Amino acid sequence: MRRARLLARLALRNVRRQTRRSILTASAMVLGVAVLVFSRALGDGAHEDWIDQGVRLGKGHIAVQHPRFQQSRHLDDRLTPRALAVAERALARPDIAKRVTAVAPRLEIQGLAYSATGAIPVFVTGVEPEIEAAFSKLGERVVEGRYLVDSDRLHAFVGQRLAERLDLEVGSRLVLTGQDATGEIAGQFVRVVGIFRTGLPEADEGIVHIPLRTAQEWLQVGGAVTTLAVLAVSGWDMPGVLEDLDAALAEDSSEVAALGWRQAMPELDAAIRIDDYGDYLFHIILFVIVGLAIVNTVLMSVLYRTREFGVLRALGLTKGETASVVFGEGLLLTAVSGLLGMVIGFAFTWIFFRNGLDYSGMLDNEFTISGILLEPVIVPIFRVVQVFQSLGSIVVIGVLASLYPAYRATRIDVAEAMKFEA
Amino acid sequence: MSEQRVAAVRTDAVWKVFEHDGIAVEAVRDVTLEIAPGEFVVLAGPSGSGKTTLLNLLGGLTAPTRGAVWIDGRELTAMKERQRARLRLERVGFVFQAYNLLPVLTALENAEFSLLLRGVPPEERTRRVRALFERIGIGGLEDRRPSKLSGGQQQRVAVARAVVGEPALVLADEPTANLDSASSIALLDVMTTLNVELGTTFVFATHDQRLMERARRLIRLVDGGVESDTRRPPSTRA
Repeated sequence: MRRARLLARLALRNVRRQTRRSILTASAMVLGVAVLVFSRALGDGAHEDWIDQGVRLGKGHIAVQHPRFQQSRHLDDRLTPRALAVAERALARPDIAKRVTAVAPRLEIQGLAYSATGAIPVFVTGVEPEIEAAFSKLGERVVEGRYLVDSDRLHAFVGQRLAERLDLEVGSRLVLTGQDATGEIAGQFVRVVGIFRTGLPEADEGIVHIPLRTAQEWLQVGGAVTTLAVLAVSGWDMPGVLEDLDAALAEDSSEVAALGWRQAMPELDAAIRIDDYGDYLFHIILFVIVGLAIVNTVLMSVLYRTREFGVLRALGLTKGETASVVFGEGLLLTAVSGLLGMVIGFAFTWIFFRNGLDYSGMLDNEFTISGILLEPVIVPIFRVVQVFQSLGSIVVIGVLASLYPAYRATRIDVAEAMKFEA
Repeated sequence: MSEQRVAAVRTDAVWKVFEHDGIAVEAVRDVTLEIAPGEFVVLAGPSGSGKTTLLNLLGGLTAPTRGAVWIDGRELTAMKERQRARLRLERVGFVFQAYNLLPVLTALENAEFSLLLRGVPPEERTRRVRALFERIGIGGLEDRRPSKLSGGQQQRVAVARAVVGEPALVLADEPTANLDSASSIALLDVMTTLNVELGTTFVFATHDQRLMERARRLIRLVDGGVESDTRRPPSTRA
């Protein structure tokens, strides 16, 4: 114990001995860890936003569907009233219900929208207006008219590009056609009550919302829907909810299944993974540079103090103890500067917690990823796992960057070291 | 039956051969000697005669190419590195030409270094070092860092570090080479006193004529081998 204290004291004083060099090296580590913490919080915040935007415009965190519907997109693969009842019972289970914010029933088909001007392929979604308004938030993007309400019957909510191309305005008539449950092509007359703009061309031209009851009658499906879109309280908790829901639906898996957003929206999943890999690569490069700076400082210190290490060995320190002095110096330098970097990183992150980081000035147009329109403001997210990731990075860099100089210290020939001129 | 005293250090046909660009250089050749406890021995000889190499062999800082070395009756050459380190810590003190104090430690911390490694309690360490500092004339300098001490003072701290653990022998390589005349004489007085009063065994490698004059045993080396080994009566200057 006394030896350990002595070796720690030597390491501490040696770090303080070359103050300028230590500060320069430490500042690289401080900067590296601060950037790691901030960029991680920002990256998580951006991903949370991507997921939130994606799941709201798409099928929620979890889509409860017929197992084949994801591939076929066909009304034959709708949720039957029995399957719907099973799914609703599962979602009403207390352990699941408390982790779910909203469940939106939808009837989705691909069809055509006609006006006197022409016809355009669209994705028609029959929705429960009040539930959907809170779910998809399309109602917040109204540029003309209003979103659907529960009392609407033969009404439609369309995108701005569709309205422009079909020469529609609020009050205009529109005919939707699609294949109904009997396999026949059926048409439905509706009147435009509102026009939205997301900024995403595919959505603004291709999405039409109509009341669910209207869609069910038009397509002759009775009370059936194709999807129950489920919004979890927290996106991070989604895997747990999905697992529980999967288990609850297991007995009826031939008729109903739960899909996580990663399966339901593979493009978004891929985009997030690619972005994550990019972040990891950036962090690895950053830490290799920081690690090399620490290796350089500690190694220079070892070479500069060859005679000193020779003296330590002559006085009775073993190779391992001599190495531990060097290792301690590297670890101390890394730990102190790393912790300081964490504090600075979290402080910087905290500044942006309330209003987020607004990068709209850097963009000329709207920014989309995998068909999702992103807000030009990223609100960083703080998670406990970030603290452990940062601490883990500090320990890994400290250990790796100190090992080689420590090894070099053990290779010193004591007799030769005494001839060394610093 | 009389008790036989164990030699402080003993060598048996020790050789040290260095390889330089494929050429073997015999730095120490077939040296057999025995130094008894309490001796004050000087290894003398011209540059390149093998003094420092022999000193390093005696202290276990370098391993012989052939032959064996015993310190305090324990064969150094048969030991593992960790055991040699332990033996150096407990039985050997070193004094170097360039003082070689650890710059980040105070004079007291430098001097008590080996005691601390040996687990001597703090009060005991401080008491022994302070007493030794008073004895060798550097009392009051305990809290100074080496950079705040003169060359002579630093070398006395180095001597204190070497002898405070009461080792079997102290090996000193040109201890006066970097000192002015007055400091050299003062340092020699200190070491002679420690040898006489404490019975500390000293082995020096030196060119310094004043040190040779004080030696009670003078071993002359030439080309790595022992040319002469002469004993003299104790110096009257101690």
